[in-house]
Amino acid sequence: MGTIISVKKLVKRYGDKTTVDGISFSVKEGEVFGILGPNGAGKTTTLEMIEALRPIDGGEVMLDGLDVRKRPAQVKQIIGIQLQATAFFDKLTLREQLRMFNDLYGANSNPDELLAEVQLTDKAKSYVENLSGGQRQRFSIAAALVNNPRVLFLDEPTTGLDPQARRNLWDLIQQIKKKGITVVLTTHYMDEAELLCDRIAIMDNGKIVTINTPKNLIKELIGRGFKKPQHVEQANLEDVFIDLTGKDLRE
Amino acid sequence: MNRHYFKTIFALARAYTRRFFRDKVGLFFTFLFPLLFLFVFGYLNSGNTDINFDVAVLNESDTSFATEFEKQLNDSETFTVTDDTDFTAATERMGRGELDSIVKLPEGFGTPNAQGQPSGEVVVYYSEASPQSGQTVAAVLNQTLDQINQSLGQSAPPLSVTQESTATADLSAFDYVFAGLLGFTILSLGIFGLANQLPAEKKTGALRRLRAAPVTSGQIIFANMLYYMLVGIISIVLMFLVATFVFDFTMRGDWLLLFGYIVISIVLMFGFGLAIGGWAKNETQSAALTQLVALPMMFLSGVFFPRFLMPEWLQGITTFFPLTPIVDGLRLIMTESYSLFELWPQIGLIAVWMVVIYVIAIRVFRWE
Repeated sequence: MGTIISVKKLVKRYGDKTTVDGISFSVKEGEVFGILGPNGAGKTTTLEMIEALRPIDGGEVMLDGLDVRKRPAQVKQIIGIQLQATAFFDKLTLREQLRMFNDLYGANSNPDELLAEVQLTDKAKSYVENLSGGQRQRFSIAAALVNNPRVLFLDEPTTGLDPQARRNLWDLIQQIKKKGITVVLTTHYMDEAELLCDRIAIMDNGKIVTINTPKNLIKELIGRGFKKPQHVEQANLEDVFIDLTGKDLRE
Repeated sequence: MNRHYFKTIFALARAYTRRFFRDKVGLFFTFLFPLLFLFVFGYLNSGNTDINFDVAVLNESDTSFATEFEKQLNDSETFTVTDDTDFTAATERMGRGELDSIVKLPEGFGTPNAQGQPSGEVVVYYSEASPQSGQTVAAVLNQTLDQINQSLGQSAPPLSVTQESTATADLSAFDYVFAGLLGFTILSLGIFGLANQLPAEKKTGALRRLRAAPVTSGQIIFANMLYYMLVGIISIVLMFLVATFVFDFTMRGDWLLLFGYIVISIVLMFGFGLAIGGWAKNETQSAALTQLVALPMMFLSGVFFPRFLMPEWLQGITTFFPLTPIVDGLRLIMTESYSLFELWPQIGLIAVWMVVIYVIAIRVFRWE
């Protein structure tokens, strides 16, 4: 597996405040890479600099051999972006939106196939404003796949979704990974990171604290003598919730 | 700039237009609002039923015929005559609306000609604000003079009336108002439309989503321009239909020139909307700035009030307002059939404003 993204000493400043403080990491082709951290850690800013949406104040980002700072248009052509605060035009049907994005990228993917992939076939003629939160996130991913991207960026894809919609979205992300698309996502749900990500970087105060696979990180922690207070409970409240309400999507 | 560059523009313009036609409230305000204005101002400025005219008679002739003629006017029920000796004072009174027109019997009026019959020319001055009354006064005087001419047995009438206006002859009040209302439509479409839309798209994040795709700000601007051009032309065509079939508007100029002039006018006003909407981070900012920019133009560029009624210093300033050449140019084409060449001062001013506003718009544009 080759490296598809390499970030070197990336810096973003707003006035005297350094939001992203010289971070370096690389993402391997085909993996799901997670950036974790509390709110304000610099996750979104980092993502947006890699996506060529925000000016880079220092350092370098190479994406599939392209210098993001020098070739933002070409970079955008080969990546798919799902933004945190996603909004689409109102009064356009999902199918029309996907056609429009097709034209914007000069791509010719089939809108109906994309909608089928994210289980929105029956919503093809609906407007985005009439979708539920989970449906909107799935549509957002469909729109990000229009140009058959090499890398898919997902910024907190499951924030605000109910447990059913979250699980459904996890399935979708794993499906996308199987197609060979590299996925970079941010989240502050640890269960999500543990389940989905091949490797994770934990950010705090604009710096990367550590990068490793979830398993190794846990192993390291235990190796340092960490002990979680043991509970005998065999299930948690979420298990109860899922058991009682089922895994089926509610929309 | 390859084919894909334009394909993106057309795709966006198509999306904008499609959304527009699905927005019933937006459709109402965009198309019906100017038409409502047109009906209101159209009815106010047509169907003048007043048959009594306040006129000032300036008799500069010392012939007995002129004196007799003046006496006849004084006795007439159609005219309420005030004696004025000073033309400037009379003009000012006419400007204030106290007089409908000024009737001047020039020096030598009524002097016997070669055939020994009284001849000469009555001059009727009227205000551009109420050209119809001026025309009616002239028509009534014409009739009176015709009768005198006939009684004198003349085939070539030695006595005649000419009408003079500082600007235009044969201009109906509606024609005057119509050009202003067209200007108003172009202004509100360009400024109010885009200045609201862009900040709203920034707030919802729709603009950010577009930016995530390989779309440039230039493409978004061009797409919006196409979209506003289409909507603007539909709106203006509707106005022309109403003007023609309801208010008997008659076009005196070249349609093609008028079309071209409307297109550049929309492009100019679009520039103002773009500068405001592109700069503003939210609708609060854009609303304030829109009022600041649009209101002076709306009230001082001759849309609702003719500019010649303003004090001279104000006229001097408002001549250079961006909407002024638009309204003036439209009026000159429609009512005085001006040619492209004759319109150079207006087109020149529009061109200067266009350069200024687009340079500003591109400088201040921000994505969020």
